[in-house]
Amino acid sequence: MTTPGAKLKKRTLMVTHSSRALNGSISGLHQVNHSSRHTGSNVSRKGLSMAGDSRSTIQTPRQTVRVLNENGTDVTPQPISHPEPGAKHNRVYLDEFSGPSDILSMLYQPTTAASLTVPFSRSVFCSSKISRSSLSTIESVNEERVDTFYKQDNYPASYVQVEREEVKEQVTEDMLNEVVNIYLTETETITHLDMPGISVSVDADDAEAIKERNNRYAELCKNRMGNDKYMDRSMQAFIGASKSKQVQCDSIVMVDTACEATTWDMYDSFYGAEQDKTELTAEPEKSGYSESIVNSSRGPEKTTSLLSTTSIATSASSSQREIETGMCSDDAADPRLILQSEKFQKVLLVMERCILANIFQPKLAAYRQLPIVEDCDSVVTPETMEHREEDVERSLSPTLESLWVFSCELTKGRTISCMAWNKKNPDLLAVGYGEFDFRDQTPGLVCCWSLKNPTWPERVYHCNTGVTSLDFSAKHPYRLAVGMTDGTIAIYYVYSQDKTCAVSSSKCSKKHYSSTWQVKWAEQDMGLSGDDKEEALMSISADGRISKWFLHDDLDCVELMRLKRMQEEKDEMETEVKDKKKKGEILRSLNAGFCFDFHPVDSSIYLAGSIDGTIYKCSSSNSQQFLETYSQHFGPVTRIKWCPFNPNVFLSCSLDWTIKLWIQDQLTPLLCLTSTQKQVHDIMWSPKWATVFGAINEGQMKIWNLDYSTLDPVIVHMAAPGVKMTSLLFALQTDCVLVGDNSGQVTVYQIKNFTVGEGNQVDTLESIISSAVARL
Amino acid sequence: MAEVEETLKRIQSQKGVQGIIIVNSEGIPIKTTMDNSSTVQYVGLIHQLVMKARSTLRDLDPQNDLTFLRIRSKKNEIMIAPDKDYFLIVIQNPSD
Repeated sequence: MTTPGAKLKKRTLMVTHSSRALNGSISGLHQVNHSSRHTGSNVSRKGLSMAGDSRSTIQTPRQTVRVLNENGTDVTPQPISHPEPGAKHNRVYLDEFSGPSDILSMLYQPTTAASLTVPFSRSVFCSSKISRSSLSTIESVNEERVDTFYKQDNYPASYVQVEREEVKEQVTEDMLNEVVNIYLTETETITHLDMPGISVSVDADDAEAIKERNNRYAELCKNRMGNDKYMDRSMQAFIGASKSKQVQCDSIVMVDTACEATTWDMYDSFYGAEQDKTELTAEPEKSGYSESIVNSSRGPEKTTSLLSTTSIATSASSSQREIETGMCSDDAADPRLILQSEKFQKVLLVMERCILANIFQPKLAAYRQLPIVEDCDSVVTPETMEHREEDVERSLSPTLESLWVFSCELTKGRTISCMAWNKKNPDLLAVGYGEFDFRDQTPGLVCCWSLKNPTWPERVYHCNTGVTSLDFSAKHPYRLAVGMTDGTIAIYYVYSQDKTCAVSSSKCSKKHYSSTWQVKWAEQDMGLSGDDKEEALMSISADGRISKWFLHDDLDCVELMRLKRMQEEKDEMETEVKDKKKKGEILRSLNAGFCFDFHPVDSSIYLAGSIDGTIYKCSSSNSQQFLETYSQHFGPVTRIKWCPFNPNVFLSCSLDWTIKLWIQDQLTPLLCLTSTQKQVHDIMWSPKWATVFGAINEGQMKIWNLDYSTLDPVIVHMAAPGVKMTSLLFALQTDCVLVGDNSGQVTVYQIKNFTVGEGNQVDTLESIISSAVARL
Repeated sequence: MAEVEETLKRIQSQKGVQGIIIVNSEGIPIKTTMDNSSTVQYVGLIHQLVMKARSTLRDLDPQNDLTFLRIRSKKNEIMIAPDKDYFLIVIQNPSD
């Protein structure tokens, strides 16, 4: 048994009690340190040491017991009651110490309020009298050496020392009932023998020696069996009684995460990384980090989680990229920026068209000659049913049905002077707004409408003066040529949102100084070889000149023809002109040109109509002479149109209320059509039927079918009261016709119940013409 | 900006348009012509639907993406133009 001092630990206190403390108490303080493992009589092999508690009435040991904390200060607890001087208590208790374990066990058995808990915790013993009889049983049990000091009131007689008697006398009832604190601590593990097994590699240097040793040992063991030198003896080793211990810790929060790795997710992760190179550098770090986090949080339990971790990582990375882009563009996701972005404007455009398609769906379907599907969800009232029935009954004769109207606030009150389809996109319509009266100097307007949006034009161009003529180029479908009342010609590029004209002729020195009445793009032979065709812009104006414009950096023109007034008779025309040349320049006023049209097949030949009713047939290669002159009209010729189906035939209309049908080589018209005594402003051949054409009188729109009758038009459509129709355009692929009027509206009509006779229209036209020729 | 405002006004004044909602990528309405509770309800539900639609399309072909979504119902039609930064939602009843 070692001295208590040797066992003294820094923080533990060897408690030595003077008997004095116990003198007056029946149940003194028992300070027993004892391993927490043993509740029974066995004391741990590890040894026991006394621990003192400051709360207990520890009497400061004299020699040995000092408690020092880490800093070396003496924190030995002071006893509550001081022992009488000269006490030899220490010694007493050393002697008493012989079988502390016995006493311990004695202590434990009659315990009434023993609470043994974890080491270093204080336990409270309240011991009552311990019978001596228990000693004997305990002795045999305990073999360990114990270093505990303890104090006990009722020591067995063998240990009783002189002071004991004192103790006995001073024990009172109160002291018996006192609460006793017993403090238990555990020493370090004391290792008696530690021989760890060593493994040596077979290839090691001393492997041989070790093998030999192993062999020798094995032999030794064999020999040992009968050898007297070696004796087998069994030892009882302590198998520590196990004790279950409960530990409380913060609950581990388990989180279940699941992820779907979708096809597009994987695609994004693979290819999206290639695309967003800027974010790639930031990405891998983040994704790596997230992966590690994910992996650690998962724990090793689920092996199936491996797949899901990767997918979590990738989705985390992709979603992180989204988050990142979201973060990067979070500043850009500022509402204003969103609203201003181009993409948003496009989206708005599409959305608007969708809405309008919903609204105009039946009309557009009729236009495109699709069957009109009734909206099954729309509420059908009895009134509408009646209307529909009436409509069905009435519409047997050819009529025009109004589909919709292109109009908006901008165009209200303006006169439509011209309309033109885009050559490439048949849904695009350019409409020019300008007053016919050139004295009226209100600024003109050009609107490009799309069929998909009849409520607002796609492009709006404001012009300085009224617009008289429009034409889209065939070769460059984005070029729109506009002729104006001040003679300027402007070219707009409609693909851009730019509101200004791309090119204008206002700076050209040879520009028209009077109204440009018509502009047209036509293909012209440019070079000497016949195949070289370039598109040039032609214009005819009230100053009597026909010009050909070239677009290089700026518009520049070449004069094609001057419309000279014809005052002499026709047969003398050529000589007349020659005479004039010989005689020198005689100033003549030129005939104002109103309209022209290029031959559909041979585009070098064109017809020009003038203000005095003369129609000139000219060639672009000959700028001095006319090929033919037709002067059968009495008023200004407002429109000339070649027949698209028959290259020899053309129509002309004029303000003298007549429409005349001509053959190219004949100087008198074949047919002269008059229906009402109103000025004819516009005519157009139908692109679909060879014998059909449309004409606009002032308040009426007429569709003529030469096959049906040459005296009366087939369809006569009255304009709304007060509204004058001014312009006509046939739709190219459907049987619709557009009419512009002077209130700024372009109405789209569908020709219904219109049947042309069977057989080829062209042939019919031929036959009509030949019969007409025969009649002449 | 003014053009955008004009276009929005025009859309709003078209026949049968009941409401226009513009939502940003976080689901917060930027601009709306409907009352708050309806807006919030529409936004929450439509967002999920668009995500599902987009996911479906891209699962079929990852190079494809959703550009426009129209839902025709008995009473009206909901048109949705989704984008990375925003959604544009228009509700129209064409037979009004």
